[in-house]
Amino acid sequence: MQNAIHQLLDSANQVILGKPRQVRLALCCLLARGHLLIEDIPGVGKTTLAHTLAKLLGLNYQRIQFTSDILPADIIGACVFDTRNHEFKFHPGPVFNQMVLADEINRATPKAQSALLEAMEEHQVTVEGKTYPLPQPFFVIATQNPSHQIGTFPLPESQLDRFLMRIELGYPDHQAERQLLAGQSRHKLCESLPVQLPPEQLQQIQQAVTQVYVSAALLDYCQAIISFTRDSSEYHCGLSPRAGLALLTAAKAWAFMDRRDAVIPEDLQAVLAAVAGHRLRAGNSHSEAIVAPILANVAVH
Amino acid sequence: MKADKNVLIFLLSSIGLIVFPHVYHIPATVFGFFCLLLAWRFIGIWNQHWLPNKPVIFLLAVCGMALLYSQHQGIFGRDAGTNLFITALGLKLLEIKKERDLYLISYLAFIVAASQFLYEQNILMAAYILLVCCLLLATLVCINSCKAQTLAALKTAAIIIVQALPIAVALFILFPRVDAPRWMVFNQQRHDRMGLSDSMEPGSISDLGVSEELVFRVKFAGAIPPQRQRYWRGPVLSRTDGKRWTQAAFYEPLSSPVVTGTAYQYTLLMEPQDKNWVFALDMPKEFSPSLSLNAAYQLITLESPDKRAEYKVTSYTDYNTGLINRSEYKAATQLPGEPSDKIKQLVSRLHGFDSPPDNFIKQLLNHFRVEDFHYTLTPPVMEENPIESFLFNTRYGFCSHYASAFVYLMRVAHIPARVVTGYQGGELNKVGDFLEIRQADAHAWAEVWLESRGWVRVDPTAAIAPERIERDISVDRQFVYGIAGENSQAYNWLKQARQLWSSVDYNWQRWVINYNNKSQSKFLSSFGISDLKTMIYWMIIIIGSITAVLCWFLFYQKSKTTDQVLLSYNRFCKKLAKHGLFRGAGEGAKDFAERVKIKLPEQAADIDQITAVFINLRYGRTATGEDLQQLKALVGLFRA
Repeated sequence: MQNAIHQLLDSANQVILGKPRQVRLALCCLLARGHLLIEDIPGVGKTTLAHTLAKLLGLNYQRIQFTSDILPADIIGACVFDTRNHEFKFHPGPVFNQMVLADEINRATPKAQSALLEAMEEHQVTVEGKTYPLPQPFFVIATQNPSHQIGTFPLPESQLDRFLMRIELGYPDHQAERQLLAGQSRHKLCESLPVQLPPEQLQQIQQAVTQVYVSAALLDYCQAIISFTRDSSEYHCGLSPRAGLALLTAAKAWAFMDRRDAVIPEDLQAVLAAVAGHRLRAGNSHSEAIVAPILANVAVH
Repeated sequence: MKADKNVLIFLLSSIGLIVFPHVYHIPATVFGFFCLLLAWRFIGIWNQHWLPNKPVIFLLAVCGMALLYSQHQGIFGRDAGTNLFITALGLKLLEIKKERDLYLISYLAFIVAASQFLYEQNILMAAYILLVCCLLLATLVCINSCKAQTLAALKTAAIIIVQALPIAVALFILFPRVDAPRWMVFNQQRHDRMGLSDSMEPGSISDLGVSEELVFRVKFAGAIPPQRQRYWRGPVLSRTDGKRWTQAAFYEPLSSPVVTGTAYQYTLLMEPQDKNWVFALDMPKEFSPSLSLNAAYQLITLESPDKRAEYKVTSYTDYNTGLINRSEYKAATQLPGEPSDKIKQLVSRLHGFDSPPDNFIKQLLNHFRVEDFHYTLTPPVMEENPIESFLFNTRYGFCSHYASAFVYLMRVAHIPARVVTGYQGGELNKVGDFLEIRQADAHAWAEVWLESRGWVRVDPTAAIAPERIERDISVDRQFVYGIAGENSQAYNWLKQARQLWSSVDYNWQRWVINYNNKSQSKFLSSFGISDLKTMIYWMIIIIGSITAVLCWFLFYQKSKTTDQVLLSYNRFCKKLAKHGLFRGAGEGAKDFAERVKIKLPEQAADIDQITAVFINLRYGRTATGEDLQQLKALVGLFRA
C-alpha cells in the first residue's frame, strides 16, 4: 500500500513543482480523514493541488467558488417544486461530491461558510427537515487568502478547528519556477493524470492508518506539547483536547506513509506546524514560526 | 518590552518592603521622594500613559540630586550612600523598558537590602531581609519563567536561599575580615536614646521606670551576687541647686579603693547608648584596657558607645575607698543656700549635730520608715523647693526623691554625701543564665563618706520600699502595668518567652555580630588555621565541596530516570557528546541519528542499528527483553 502512496506522491510532484513537503502533508491529511485548508495568496497553485489530488485518487471532484454573495443553497442544494409530480424535489448542490474544493472560502459570508462547515463535520446535509448523507469518502479542501487581503471574512476559531491541517504553499523556488515556466500547461497535465489510488484502496489505507501503534512514551511527548502550549506565554490559548486528537491522527498517517507501524516523535514534529499552527492563532506569522518554540523547548525522551 | 503585570507588581511590592525599614534611617524628604516615585510606578502599571516621559524623568533626577545634596552635601558616608542608592532605585523604577532594566532594579534592590545592615544587625532584621530577598529572588524567577506562578516562584526562591545558606555560613566563618573603614562611621546622625542623663531632677528617672528597653546584659563567670548587692554604678551627682543635681568636676582620688571579699568576674554586653558610661557592679577593680575608672569610681569607655560592646570586669562588693581630699569634701557638702528652719529642726531632732554619722543615717532611714512616706512612680508635681515639699507635705516619691532628700539632709548635718545614679538589680534570664538590666531598673541612691570606711552606699528607697531592692521582680513594672499576681500563668509564660527570645538575641550578638577579625582568628586557630593563607585554602575547599555536593544533587535529580531503555540510549548520547555531537532537547532519535551520520559516516551502520532498536523499544509495539539486551550490547560496543 505504501508503494502506491509513494507513486502517487511522485506523480503529484510532477504537477506541483518544488513543494514535496506540502503535497505530502496534503495527502497525509486525506489519509487521516481530515479536511484541508490551504492558505496563501492567489496564484501559487492551491487549486491545482486540490485538482491533482482529486484526479490521482479518482474522486468525484467539484469546485465551489465562494463569493461574497454566495448562499447556503448554492452549496448544499435546494428543494425545487416539480410541477409534473406536484411535489418538492431536492436538487443536491455541489457539496454532494467526494472531493469538494471550496475556493477562497473566506470571501463568503459567515452564513455560507457555516453551511459548508456543518456538512464537513456531520458528513450529511439536512434540507427542509430531511437528511441526505454525503458520499464516502468525503473531503473538503478549502483555500483561503490571507486575512489581511480586502474583502475577506476571517474564519472564526471554532470553524478553523474543523480543518485537520492548514498548509501554506508559498512561492516556488527559482529552479521549480523555471521548470514551471518552461513546461506545458498545468491544466493539461492535470487532465492527463491516471487514477493511482482508487477510492476502495484509499478507504483501506484510512483503516490501516487508525491501526498505527502509539506508545506510552509518545503520548508523554504529545501531552508535553499540549501542556506547553497551555502554560507558555507565547500563546493566547493552548491546544484543545480535539487538537490533541487531531495531532495524533495526523502523526499516525505520517508514520504510515513513512512505512512504520508505530508513531515516533519525529512524526508528531513533522505534522505539528500544519495541525497546530492555525489552532494557536499566534498572529499572522507562518505556522512553522508559530510552533518553533514548542519544537525547541519540549524535550523528547 | 511590555513587562508582565504580575512581575511588576511582585517587583514593586518587594522593593517597597525592602526600602520600608529605612524609614527610620533616612531623612523624611528622601523617603517621601522615593514613595512618590514608587506610587507613580504602581499607578503606571494600570495607566501606562501616566508614566513620565524623558524630560520629566530628567527633571525628577535633578530633583533627586538636589535633594541628596541638600541633605548631605555629597555622596560620601554611610547615610549619603544609602540615600543615593534609594533615590537611584526610585528613579530607575520609572524607566522600565527592557528586561535588562528589571535585572538592574533587582540588583539595586539587593544592595539597598544589604545597606540595611549598616544600621541594624539584630536577628529580626536579618530574618526580615532574608524574607524580602526571597521575594526579590522570586521576582527574578518570575521574569525568567514562561508562565509566572507566584507560589511556584516563591518556592524556587526559598530553595535557592536554603541552598545558599551553607555557603553563606562557610564564607561568614572563613572569609577574611577587615575592620570597617572610618568613613562608614563618621557623619552618622545620632538618634536620641533613652537612658540616664548626667543630671537629675526629682522625677527624671520615672520616664525610665516603665521602659522595657534593654540597657546591658551581664554574664557572670561564677556565682551571681544577691539582688540587694547588685548596684550598677552610673554617674555620680554632687552639685545641686536645690532642684537639679549635676556632676561635679572630677578630682583624682587619693587612693585606689581597698577591696576584700568575693571577687565577681563577669562580662558586660552594653547595648548602644549615647554616653560612654559603662555600668559596673560596685566596686570595679579589674577591667578591659579600653575602660578607665574616673574619680567617682565610674567606668568610662574610650570606644564609641553607639555600638554594642563587650567588656570584661571584675568587681568586689566589699570595699573601702579611704580618705577624700578637701575639694572633694567641699563638693560633697555643697548646699544651694541656707536650709530652712523646718529642715534644721528636723535634722536637729534626728541628729542633734553631734552624734556619730552612723547614728544619723539610721535615724533618718527610720524616719522614712515610720513616718507616712509612700513609694510611687507617679508622685505629685513639686515645683517650688521640691526637697522641702517632699519631706513635709506630699511624702510621695520614688528613688530620686528619696536619694536627693537624704543627701540634702546629710549635707545639712555636715556629713559628705552625694547622689549616685545607675541601675539596680536586673532580671536573671534562666535560658541563657545571664542578667538583663533594663531601663526600668534605673535607680538613684546615696553615698555617704564615713571616716573609717570611705564612701558607703546608703539606699533610702530600700527603707521605704524594700521590695524594690530585695526582690527579683520589678515593683515599678507592676505598679505601672497593674499586673495582679506575679505567679499568674500568663505572666510566667510571657516571662519565659521573653527570656528565651532574649537568650537567642544574646547569642546572636555574641556569636554573629561580635565575630570580628580578632574572634575570627581566635576561633580559627582552635582548628589549627592560623594564617590568612590556610584560611583561604580552607575557604576554597569548603566552598568547593559544598558546590560539589549541590552539583551532584542537581545531576542526580536530572538522571533519576529508571527506564533501562532510556539509560542505555543516554549512554549512547553521552558517547557521541564526547565528539561535540549533542542531542537537542526537542530532537528525536531519528533526526539526531541523521545529523550524527553526516559527521561520523564510518559508524553510520551502528548508529542506524542502535537508533532503530531504541525506537522500536521505546515507541514500537513489538519490543521484547531481548531487544533491550541487544541495545545494551550495541551501546556497549559502540565506539565513536
